[in-house]
Amino acid sequence: MEFGWADEDARHRDEILGFLDEVLPGDWEAISKHGPGSDQQAAFSRTFCGEMAARGWLTQHWPEAFGGRDASPWRHAVVGEEMWAIGEPRGAQYMNVNWIGPAIMHFGSDAQKAEHLPRISSGDVLWCQGFSEPEAGSDLAGLRTLAIRDGDDYVVNGTKIWTSYVDNADFIFLLVRTDPDSRRHKGVSVLLCPVDSPGVEVREIPSVVGARYFHEVFFSDARVPASCLLGPEGEGWNVVNYALQYERVGAARYARAARTLDRLAEIARERGLLSDPTVVERLAEARGVCEAARVLTYRVIDERAKGLPPSPHTQLARVAGTRSDTVVANLALDLLGAEAFEYGSYGDANFRLAMTAGVAVGATEVQLNLIASRFLGLPKL
Amino acid sequence: MDFELDTDQQAILDAVGVLLAQYAGPGRAIDLAAGDAYDFDLDAALADAGFTQVAATRGTGPLEAALVTEAVAAAGGMVSFGAAALVATGLGAGDLPGPIAISEARPPGPVRFASHARTLLVLDRKADEARVVALEPGTCAAVRSSFGYPMGRVPDALARSGDALGGGSAARLACWWRLALAAEATGTMAACLDVTTRYLSQRRQFGQAIGSFQAVQHRLAELAIQIEASKWLAREAAFQGAPAEGVATAASYALAAAAQVFAETHQLSGAIGFTREHDLHVFSMRLQTLRIEHGGVGAHRRALSAERWGRA
Ligand SMILES: Cc1cc2nc3c(=O)[nH]c(=O)nc-3n(C[C@H](O)[C@H](O)[C@H](O)COP(=O)(O)OP(=O)(O)OC[C@H]3O[C@@H](n4cnc5c(N)ncnc54)[C@H](O)[C@@H]3O)c2cc1C
Repeated sequence: MEFGWADEDARHRDEILGFLDEVLPGDWEAISKHGPGSDQQAAFSRTFCGEMAARGWLTQHWPEAFGGRDASPWRHAVVGEEMWAIGEPRGAQYMNVNWIGPAIMHFGSDAQKAEHLPRISSGDVLWCQGFSEPEAGSDLAGLRTLAIRDGDDYVVNGTKIWTSYVDNADFIFLLVRTDPDSRRHKGVSVLLCPVDSPGVEVREIPSVVGARYFHEVFFSDARVPASCLLGPEGEGWNVVNYALQYERVGAARYARAARTLDRLAEIARERGLLSDPTVVERLAEARGVCEAARVLTYRVIDERAKGLPPSPHTQLARVAGTRSDTVVANLALDLLGAEAFEYGSYGDANFRLAMTAGVAVGATEVQLNLIASRFLGLPKL
Repeated sequence: MDFELDTDQQAILDAVGVLLAQYAGPGRAIDLAAGDAYDFDLDAALADAGFTQVAATRGTGPLEAALVTEAVAAAGGMVSFGAAALVATGLGAGDLPGPIAISEARPPGPVRFASHARTLLVLDRKADEARVVALEPGTCAAVRSSFGYPMGRVPDALARSGDALGGGSAARLACWWRLALAAEATGTMAACLDVTTRYLSQRRQFGQAIGSFQAVQHRLAELAIQIEASKWLAREAAFQGAPAEGVATAASYALAAAAQVFAETHQLSGAIGFTREHDLHVFSMRLQTLRIEHGGVGAHRRALSAERWGRA
């Protein structure tokens, strides 16, 4: 047991910070405050990821055989922290490099690999995730969208919901039921579906979180070539589980929360609030919550770096990450007061980005269920 | 970065485990507490095996000392181990005669282990120094306490005496003390959760194990998250040699968690949790001591804030 950074990873953090300084435009904050799903950020992600790709960094954690550099999960975590902390300039493309690419490497046909991997690693393609449905939220295995084989196509009918990024996306990583008589985890498949397939329609769901956060995607006799099937038919649940183990801890929420907190402390100083022990203690309390999430996340990255199977430490890290976002977002509102009422202000933008943390990518209560059974070994009802 | 024990660390904890199985455990703590006693046998066993000096031994350091401190606390060891293995060694004060107690220059109340102590470490913030006071056991009158450790009252004159450890020693003592508190709290909280989880897995009401109710499960899961985080924060700070910001983070986080661990494990244990016939109190009552000592959570938080963002 030891907690030091390898020199090369520490150096890489400096490189990344220097790179961000160099390539992020002066109005990056104005771009990023619209959220990662916005048109502005989607467009910028293509430029930005291109720059990362040019330096060999976008997919450096991929195996060499697929154009990566076999960079360690620690190196990958450094990149994830610095990107998320600054507002994720990779936009939706963080998903491509984190788990969509690896899933295609593992399950894809040669043609699929040749089609998708170079585009992902050059940073010029946008993907979105089509899992949730109106009747399948936390209980994803309740999904109903049907894809029935008809000649060289699948004919898809059903509705996906909450789908972030879809309006700017080229492809949707689509979870469907290919066996209409199947139930739960069986008979499910993944399609690498072009968003512009005929019969696919997208509607934005207006939200208080920001523009372009949520969408419904309607499939009405949409025809998707059978060559888009990823992995064997009916094995979709395995594909998703494999893919998501790359996304064990997901976004480095704590890194952004910690960055925000440093800025709040600066604001507090400028306004003479650091002489107020209540403010000082709340800042420190929030810092502890961010640090807690960081170490729990590192615990998971260590497992990943050692090639260990996913463990319930993932759920501990996830809930802790969520908490860091919430605690800091609330503190920001309290500190900034009414000035956060203005749309697009610092407190507002930060709050909106944080407010969904406990629901997105699997709600907290479900994580707590898993901690209770798998980490604490508590009995089932 | 490596979150698993290496073979040396594993060997240390295995050996400590053998000692603790013999000289610790809640039953022994309950017996000792009945007479306000100190566990001189455990203390000697840990010292003889070299664990008290593990931080100052070649090839091992503060991280190993923190791991042992955590284990001793989790076993309910009635010894002042953190003060010896982390604080005294961290200060480079040599092999001081134990038991060691730590006190503020103007202690606001009884001091943990003072009634048995042969060495008193004094944190004098005003004079900006740490002092070492040698004392005869019994110099500090024993004070009866519900809070899990033998306590003694440190006379004012004694707290003002002693040999100063020199420049910067107050800050260093403050840091190592925070680290010891964080490591002890971590082990103690883990024991509270463990006792409660086991009890609730077998205690049945309404025809079910209480631990199978989701309302109960979620509360225990919340504790598990905070205890795990406390553990890694303390270990990381130990590995780094007790830096001021790191220990203030570890202590403030762990001791804030301690309040919740106390409240929730007692609430969920029902009446039996308050009795001396159930193990929970051995650990839970200690949490309150750890929470209050050295200025409490507020002081740790103010220290963290000052280290990270400076003062007003
Ligand atoms: C910002 C954001 C972006 C998203 N982006 C995408 C996307 O791109 N693609 C996609 O497919 N999905 C996306 N989602 C959907 C997300 O995965 C779901 O919201 C999530 O899985 C929860 O499902 P739900 O919203 O239907 O809530 P429900 O499942 O209806 O849950 C409602 C509440 O009930 C609780 N609950 C549910 N089951 C249990 C249980 N067994 N025990 C205790 N409590 C329970 C939940 O924890 C929650 O608090 C996104 C969501 C958000 C908020």
